[in-house]
Amino acid sequence: MTATVTPDQGVSPSAKRKANIVVDYLTTTDHKKIGYMYLISSFLYFCIGGVMALMIRAQLWAPGLDIIPTQEQYNQLFTMHGTIMLLMFATPLFAAFANVLMPLQIGAPDVAFPRLNAFAYWLYSFGSLIAIAGFLTPQGAASFGWTAYAPLSDTAFSPGVGGHMWVLGLGISGFGTILGAVNFITTIITMRAPGMTMFRMSIFSWNVLVTSILVLIAFPVLAAALFGLAADRILDANVYDPAAGGALLWQHLFWFFGHPEVYIIALPFFGIVSEIVPVFSRKPIFGYKTLVGATIAIAALSVAVWAHHMYVTGSVLLPFFALMTMLIAVPTGVKIFNWIGTMWRGSLTFQSPMVWTLGFLVTFVFGGLTGVILGSPPLDFHISDTYFVVAHFHYVVFGTVVFAMFAGFYFWWPKWTGYKLNEKLGHIHFWLLFIGFHMTFLIQHWIGVVVMPRRYYTYLESDGVTWMNQLSTVGAMLLAVSMIPFFLNVYLTHRYGEKVTQDDPWGMARSLEWATSCPPPRHNFTSIPRVRSESPAFDLHYPEYAPRGHHQGEKKVSTAEGEQ
Amino acid sequence: MKANVVILWIIGAFFLFAGGLYSYWAILDTGRIEWVGTVAMSLTGVMAIFIAVYMWWSIMRPSRGHVYPEDRLDAEIDDGDPELGHFSPWSWWPIILAAAISIFVMGIAISTFMLPIGLALIAVSLVGWVYEYYRGNFVQR
Amino acid sequence: MQGWLPSTPGLTNHVDRVVGLWTTSWIVLLAVGVIVWFLMLWAAVVYRRRKGQIGLPAQLRYNMPIEIFFTTVPVILVLGFFAFTARDQAAIEQPIEDPDVQITVYGKRWAWDFVYERDGQDSVYYESIQALNVPGSMEIDEDTIPTLYLPSNSSVEITLESRDVAHSFWIVEFLYKKDMLPGVTNYMYFETGDVEGVFTGKCAELCGEYHSMMLFNVEIVPPEEYQDYLDELEAQGNVGHPDSDLNPLQPTWGPEGTDNEELGN
Repeated sequence: MTATVTPDQGVSPSAKRKANIVVDYLTTTDHKKIGYMYLISSFLYFCIGGVMALMIRAQLWAPGLDIIPTQEQYNQLFTMHGTIMLLMFATPLFAAFANVLMPLQIGAPDVAFPRLNAFAYWLYSFGSLIAIAGFLTPQGAASFGWTAYAPLSDTAFSPGVGGHMWVLGLGISGFGTILGAVNFITTIITMRAPGMTMFRMSIFSWNVLVTSILVLIAFPVLAAALFGLAADRILDANVYDPAAGGALLWQHLFWFFGHPEVYIIALPFFGIVSEIVPVFSRKPIFGYKTLVGATIAIAALSVAVWAHHMYVTGSVLLPFFALMTMLIAVPTGVKIFNWIGTMWRGSLTFQSPMVWTLGFLVTFVFGGLTGVILGSPPLDFHISDTYFVVAHFHYVVFGTVVFAMFAGFYFWWPKWTGYKLNEKLGHIHFWLLFIGFHMTFLIQHWIGVVVMPRRYYTYLESDGVTWMNQLSTVGAMLLAVSMIPFFLNVYLTHRYGEKVTQDDPWGMARSLEWATSCPPPRHNFTSIPRVRSESPAFDLHYPEYAPRGHHQGEKKVSTAEGEQ
Repeated sequence: MKANVVILWIIGAFFLFAGGLYSYWAILDTGRIEWVGTVAMSLTGVMAIFIAVYMWWSIMRPSRGHVYPEDRLDAEIDDGDPELGHFSPWSWWPIILAAAISIFVMGIAISTFMLPIGLALIAVSLVGWVYEYYRGNFVQR
Repeated sequence: MQGWLPSTPGLTNHVDRVVGLWTTSWIVLLAVGVIVWFLMLWAAVVYRRRKGQIGLPAQLRYNMPIEIFFTTVPVILVLGFFAFTARDQAAIEQPIEDPDVQITVYGKRWAWDFVYERDGQDSVYYESIQALNVPGSMEIDEDTIPTLYLPSNSSVEITLESRDVAHSFWIVEFLYKKDMLPGVTNYMYFETGDVEGVFTGKCAELCGEYHSMMLFNVEIVPPEEYQDYLDELEAQGNVGHPDSDLNPLQPTWGPEGTDNEELGN
C-alpha cells in the first residue's frame, strides 16, 4: 500500500519543532490539526454567543428591567449573538467536521490544498476577531441586527467604527469559507481512494460536497453585498440608496446568501446524523441513493426560496416562494424517514451519540413543522418578525447544529483523541440540555403568536407574556448549566480515561475513518482496506456481512449499489 | 467523474429553469421582471454548467474513456497512483498572508496609515507563499 | 378554537380566514408530526438490542415501495396546502376599490404619523412621539402610546410609508403586518366589522435604538365618533400633511434639502 503516504519533501524539522506546540499549530497544514483549531475556535465562539444569549434572556425576565443598561447595548448583544452563532460558530463548525473527517472517510492523505486550508482557517479566525473587536471601539459593536438591513446599517443611522469592522471582518471570514469550500470540492473530486466511487462515499462526505457547492453559490453574494455596504459606509457610495430601491436590493442580496446559509449549516449535520444512526442500529443507511438525491434537492431548492424572509415587504412574488418553500419539506421529510428506516428492523443500542441523534430528530421535526407554517404567506403575515420566528429557527438551527455537534463529539472523540468520553456524564449532559432547550424555546412560539416582536428590549406588563418569558429564561439558565457535565466529562476523560486501542472502539462502525488508528497518523492511513460499499470499515471487520465483490478474487459486483 | 459532471448539469439546468420560471411568473403577476432574483438564479445555473463543462473538457475528454481507479467499482487500493503529489508539511505563509490582509482591511475600517503596511506585507507573503517550495531546503529538482 | 391567535371573530374581514387556515394547518401538521414521533419511538423501543442478543440484523439497504410512498405522500400534502395558501393570500392582498376610509401612516424613528384623508376636504393628521417611560423607571408608560382611530363597519385602505429606515406596521389582533420601506409605498386593505375596542400595534422590524418603544394602539369606534375625532384634529389645526417636525434629530435618507413627502409619494 503506497497510494496514500507521500513522504514530506525536504528536511523535516519535526524534532526541533516538537518542543514548541504553539509554532506547530500556527504553521500546521495538517487537515486534522486545522480541523481541531476550527473545532476549538468555533466552540469558544459558541460559549461567547451563549453568554450573550443569557444576558439577553436576563434582560427579558420582566418588563421594564435595565440589566442591560441601554437599548443600544442590547441591540449590540443580539446583533453579535446572531453573527457569532451563525458565522463564527455554525459555519466554521462545518469546516471543522469536514476538515477532520472528510479526507479520512474518502481515504485521502490530506486535503487537496493544505496551505490554502490553513489560510482559510486564519482568514476566518482574524475576520471573526475583527468583527467582534467592535466591542472595544467607543461606540461599541454593530447594532443593526445580523441581517444589517439597509438603510439602518448605513452610517446615517448606525455610525461608528464597530459597524465598519463588522462588515469588513465578515467579508474576510466569508472568503475563508469560500476557500475552504473550494478545497473540499477538489479533494472529494480528485482524491478518493481507488474503488471509492461517488456512490460509495459516506453520506457525510456527500453532504460536505453539496454544502461546499452551496457555499460557492451563497458566500460570493454575501461578499459582494458586504463590499457594497462597506462602500456606502466608508466611501459614501450610494449602493443601497433607498431612493433607488436600495432597501429591497439589500434584502434580496442578503437573503440570497442568508437562506442557503441556513442549509450550509444544516446539511453537514444531517451528514453526521446519517453516520451515527447506522452504526448504533447495526444496519447500513436506509435508502442511500434517495438520501443523496434528497440532499441535492434540498440544496437546489434552498437557493430558490430566499424571499420567504421578505413576504411582509409586499414586494415579492408570494406564490413562487411559497411553493418552493413548501416543496423543501419533501426532501427533508425523505431524510427523516430514511433515518427512521435505518432504525427499522435494526438492533439499537443507546450510547451517547445515538441519544443525541434521537434528540436531534425529535427537535428537528418540530422545527420543520413550524417552518411549513411560516412558509405560508397568510400565516407568515402575522408571525413573521416575532418570537415565533425566533423559536422556529432555534428549533431548526440549534436542534441541528448543537445536537448533532455533540452527537459527533461523543461519536468521534475516541477517533480524534484516543479517549472515549464517559457515557453516564454524556447522558446527564444530554437530558439537561434537552430539557433546557425545549423549556427555553417551545414557549417562545406562544410569546410570538400572542404579541411579542423579536429584537425587543422590553415589553409591556399588559402584553401578558411575563411568565412565559420567565419560563424561557429559566430554561436558558438550565441550558447553560448543562455544559458543566460536558466540560467535566472532557476533563475526567483526559485525566483518568482509558486509552482506546482498537481502530473501531464502537465495535460496529462503518465508514473508512474507523479502519485507521485512534488518533490517525499524520497522513491518515498506513493501509486502506478494499472499498466495495459505503461501509469499508464494517466490511473489513465483518467480512461475512460484506457485499459480494469484497472478497479476494471476486470481480463482479452486486448491481444493487453499482455506479456506472 | 461522470457522476460529478452529471450532477452539475442537473443543478445548472434546475437553476436556469427556476430563473426562467421566476422571471416569467413575475411578469405575469406584476408586469415587471424582478432583476435581482432572475440574474442571481440564472448566474448560479451558468456557474454550475461552467464547472461541469470544465470538468468534462479538461479531465474526462482527454482521458478518452479511461476510468480513474476511484471511479471503478472493482479497483484495488494498489491501482491508485502511488505518487499523489507534494503535500506541504508545514508553512508560515498562510497565517502571515491572512494577517497581512487583516491589517489592510482594518486600515480601511479604522485608519489609512495601516493600508500601505498591509499592502507591503501582502506582497511579501504572496511572494513567499508562491516561491516557498522553490528555494532553500525545498528546492524541487 | 383559534389556536392562541390573539383575535376576535369578525374583527376584520380577514381574521376568520387566517384563523381557519392556521388551525387546520396545525391540525394536519401535528398529525404528521405525531405519526413521525411515534415511528421514531416505536423503532427505538421495538428494535432495541435485547440482553443476550448476538449477531447483526439483516443488512437491509433500501425498500423502493416504501421510499416512493414517503416521497409522494408529502408532495400531495404540500400541494394541497399550497392551494389553500394561494387562495387565502390572494384574498387578503386583494385591493379594495373605492374604500370608505383612506389613511396614510408614516413610520419614523420611533413613532408614527397618522394622516386621515377626507372626501373633498384637506386631510387631517396626528403626529406622534414615541412611547415614554414611567418617570424614574424603565417601564413603558402605556398612556403615552399613540392611537390610530378606525371606524367600525367600514372598508379601509392604509398606505404605508417610511421617513427613515425600514419599519413594520403590525396590528396584532388583525393578524397582519406589512413593512414600511423607505422609497417603497405599501398598502394594506381590510374591512372592519361590528367589533369595537382598543387593540395593540407594534413596530416589528428592527429600526434602531428605541425599536421596542415604537408602539401604537388601534381603536375601532363607531363612524360618528371617528368623524368627531377628525373634526377635533381639524380644530387643533392639524390640517394638510405632516412634515418631519417631530422627527428633527433624525437623519433622513433623501438628498440634502429634499422634501421627504415628495419622495414618499
